[in-house]
Amino acid sequence: MVEYQLLRAHSLDELLEILDQRENVQLLAGGTDLMVDLHHQDQKFDKIDYLLDITAVDELKGIQLGDKKGEIGALTTHAELVSNPEIKEKLPFIAAAASSIGSTQIRNRATIGGNLANAAACADSFSPLIALGAEVVLRSKGGARRVLLEDFVEWPYQTIIKPDEVLEKIVFAMPQGEYYSSYQKIGRRKALSISRISLTLLAEVENGRVKKAQVASGAATPFPVPFRKVNDYLNGKSFAEIDPIEAGNIAADEMVGITGERWSTPYKRPALGKLVERAVEDLLEEAGYNG
Amino acid sequence: MAKLDVELTVNGEKHKLKVGSQERLLDTIREQLKLTGTKEGCSVGECGACTVIVDDQAVNSCMVLTAQVDGSEIITVEGLESKSGLHPLQKAFIEKQAVQCGFCTPGMLMSALALLNTNPEPSKEEIKTALEGNLCRCTGYQQIIDAVEMAAEEWGA
Ligand SMILES: Cc1cc2nc3c(=O)[nH]c(=O)nc-3n(C[C@H](O)[C@H](O)[C@H](O)COP(=O)(O)OP(=O)(O)OC[C@H]3O[C@@H](n4cnc5c(N)ncnc54)[C@H](O)[C@@H]3O)c2cc1C
Ligand code: FES
Ligand code: FES
Repeated sequence: MVEYQLLRAHSLDELLEILDQRENVQLLAGGTDLMVDLHHQDQKFDKIDYLLDITAVDELKGIQLGDKKGEIGALTTHAELVSNPEIKEKLPFIAAAASSIGSTQIRNRATIGGNLANAAACADSFSPLIALGAEVVLRSKGGARRVLLEDFVEWPYQTIIKPDEVLEKIVFAMPQGEYYSSYQKIGRRKALSISRISLTLLAEVENGRVKKAQVASGAATPFPVPFRKVNDYLNGKSFAEIDPIEAGNIAADEMVGITGERWSTPYKRPALGKLVERAVEDLLEEAGYNG
Repeated sequence: MAKLDVELTVNGEKHKLKVGSQERLLDTIREQLKLTGTKEGCSVGECGACTVIVDDQAVNSCMVLTAQVDGSEIITVEGLESKSGLHPLQKAFIEKQAVQCGFCTPGMLMSALALLNTNPEPSKEEIKTALEGNLCRCTGYQQIIDAVEMAAEEWGA
């Protein structure tokens, strides 16, 4: 039988103090992952003595986008990411990813921090943030550390967060100059799907040439990774030199290089290739190139 | 296990309650407040039958512990009807035959109300997005979308 004591933190200090003082504490944000586990009386609750609700901790909320740097608080909901005008304008691929998650009711509660910390292989927030080169700030009473998001997940559902740490916020450098992006996702069902593959392509462009491309995918691999070989293929190329199909093939090969041949490879290989192809086509179109 | 003190405003009425550490907002609404219009379908965030409005937003009440929303304003389907009669949304649902077995209706009404409260003139797409977390096994959705459109027109008028 599940038994725990429910605690509520009202400030970041109070939250860090509780994590410092007590053991077997599980954080609770929007609850859209954890409440499903609770309903199923999941074994993970055997090891939980305290459930600590963090939704009243204002320091973990808010979106700040400057010219050079951006920050998203861990408690920011997907609904807030969808409706934030600055995100829509400057980082539309983040809004696109957020709007693809769950349903209106889920997006109103579910947080970006919970999506990352839960670390499902199919979590949709990873690919846009990895494409941005984002880092997560993990804070404990003793201080904070910054970790590249691509190094944050060790295995599906397992991150490097220590028991006394909270994911405070996500920080990143803003893309500079002229840039274009595309977010692609295929899921089993449109509205309420846990996605199978999602993909973000972000590219800074100068004089009709790709200066810095960043491709990242969620759920193509057991944990989300950047696709460096596709980046290398795109970097330095003029729009005319880019072949979307070739970019797709390179990504598909790179994925199989990471995962090896698996039962899902016959589906995922062409699916990922197609997503990358579409993303590259999107990018060229957005950039006004119609070769 | 010790109970927690919470204060909720439900359909305009203040309640001081003691809640358990595993008590969901859905349980509090149905069992403590005896407001049984809110339904439990899937219990895991998929069907929307348990939808209520918490601080102006549509939320699955099966996914929230009551203690998490201490101090909040909550609207349930019982909050729709007023002294002047049925709410325009309720009238539209009847008029457009958007109710068959009725199990999904309270949740649909709450999602639609949350939408119209923030966006009185929604497009069809916006209506669909607002209702995407509400499943209906009976109607095929078209009558429900028609009803929300009708309510928006009547309400705005
Ligand atoms: C019907 C339904 C549909 C869904 N659809 C999608 C979908 O399309 N795509 C998708 O990616 N996900 C989907 N999800 C999963 C879920 O909604 C997301 O993963 C969500 O973002 C989780 O956030 P939360 O705040 O609800 O997390 P919670 O359930 O509160 O927490 C999840 C985990 O993260 C930990 N945690 C939370 N916040 C922090 C923090 N700040 N620091 C450290 N640890 C923390 C918790 O301890 C817990 O282990 C869906 C879920 C449901 C029920
Ligand atoms: S009962 Fe809450 S969403 Fe189904
Ligand atoms: S009317 Fe029966 S489920 Fe919608």
